[in-house]
Amino acid sequence: MLTLEHVTKRFGGLTAVREVSLEVAAGELLGIIGPNGAGKTTLFNVISGFQRPEEGRVILEGRDVTGDPPHTIARLGLTRTFQIVKPFGNLSVLDNVMIGALTRATSVAEARAEAGRVVETCGLTAHAGARAKALPIGLRKRLEVARALATRPRLLLLDEVMSGVNPTELAGIVELVRRVHAEGVTLVVIEHVMAAMMRLARRIVVLHHGELIAQGTPAEVAADRRVIDAYLGDEFVLAQA
Amino acid sequence: MKKHAGAIVLFAVAALTPLVIRGGFFLDSLVIILLWGAISAAWNVAGGYAGQVSLGHAAFFGIGAYAAALVSARWQQSPWLGLLVGMLVSVAAGLIIGYLSNRLRGPYFALSTIAFSQVLLIVASRWRGFTAGSEGIPVPFRPGFWTLGLGHVAWVYVALALAVVYYLVEVYLERSRIGYQLAGVREDEEAAEALGIASRRLKVFAIALSAALTSIGGSLWAQYIGFVDPFYVFSVDLSVRFALHTIIGGMGVALGPFLGAALITALETSLRAHFSGIKGGYVGLYLVTYGVILILVVRFVPEGLAGLAARVRTRTIRAHA
Repeated sequence: MLTLEHVTKRFGGLTAVREVSLEVAAGELLGIIGPNGAGKTTLFNVISGFQRPEEGRVILEGRDVTGDPPHTIARLGLTRTFQIVKPFGNLSVLDNVMIGALTRATSVAEARAEAGRVVETCGLTAHAGARAKALPIGLRKRLEVARALATRPRLLLLDEVMSGVNPTELAGIVELVRRVHAEGVTLVVIEHVMAAMMRLARRIVVLHHGELIAQGTPAEVAADRRVIDAYLGDEFVLAQA
Repeated sequence: MKKHAGAIVLFAVAALTPLVIRGGFFLDSLVIILLWGAISAAWNVAGGYAGQVSLGHAAFFGIGAYAAALVSARWQQSPWLGLLVGMLVSVAAGLIIGYLSNRLRGPYFALSTIAFSQVLLIVASRWRGFTAGSEGIPVPFRPGFWTLGLGHVAWVYVALALAVVYYLVEVYLERSRIGYQLAGVREDEEAAEALGIASRRLKVFAIALSAALTSIGGSLWAQYIGFVDPFYVFSVDLSVRFALHTIIGGMGVALGPFLGAALITALETSLRAHFSGIKGGYVGLYLVTYGVILILVVRFVPEGLAGLAARVRTRTIRAHA
């Protein structure tokens, strides 16, 4: 569904993403992990069109979308959420989601109805009329997912939607991600919450200093010496055992 | 309907005033309030709804004013034709400035619009052969609707029609697909892009639409006042005025610009009348008042007078419940 071919993104002398090649199959739930500064979000920026790679190609369903603007890529069915959430602060939760729905809907009324359904799926119905900026962080993360879902993506990039929320909210968001995946949306998930990631993803790739250093099932990745050294640490391995 | 109660009352009062009051001074103030309100509503299209806060809208106002004045004074044609020409030139100018300043945000965008209006000021005041330079252009008064040589009462209705149409344009922007998408772009451009909204194109569209509406207002103003002075029509003061009416009245709210224009213009006119002549020493007092109101609004009702009205309404409903 999505293919990255030797993608490299540099910022001046710093190579944020180096020669990353990756294949995401339709219906997959792929996890991306790695320490801070590993280039995970930059990779998302490149895939979703916010940053143009210096080298390599991004191919979405057979179509080369390298360098296309984000709105074109979103219309093709690939959208993303932001690690630092970007709600339309002064608008209501429903209007936020509706603006996403307008991308596919033929009328405002249709978009509103669709937004109502998505808001319900995401457990935000009780807050539909609230101003987005008044929501606590856990709900803003949900809103981020809801708004993206309203564009009916076939491939959704989730950037740390489970980080920084309390355990109850975390369980709810994990459940939401599962449901979205069950409905047939292909997901690529960046996450630091390893416990959640180990349960959700069937395949994980590991980035370190912009390079893809390992990939495999959660168990394989967790046993990989390079991954333990670069990211997980020995404590994690001990805790798992 | 309830949502538009304020506008209906305001426009009805304006429509009925000429039937009751015949005094030139009052009707003149009313025409000016309606024109300023409409042009500020035009500013609101870019500044309020699309978040493109311009401090150079005098550029489009001036283009409209000059187009109407030149067409009627120089070529003896109908100012309506000039209005159309001005509108087209302003759309072109809006597209150019919108395109050029597309990546600029916030204060940088505002600065670029000021620069643009100042360039036009220099052109208009120096290009003597075409614009009559800094002397300005007197607009000939030829009675009739086609030539826009109208009395005060007729002008009230022309200005009112403009105000109502612009109000409806704003209302459309609040409810339509494009309006919601603009709100998205205003709130967060990157998030809007990620949702499939072509943010740059949409911003340029909003600026061009706003420019066209502003230009029409400028054309009518020139015909009403009868004189076009480059140092006034392209002034930063005028640009700031359109912005302030809207900020004080309520940004991104359809009625906001009209409330702001009514309050500021009424205050300005009365203060000027009171403190001129013998008490000429206080002639600048209206500017002080202007400033004080602005500070109070920004400090206590950042959502503007329209927002204040909404706040009072919710409180009353709560009190009754």
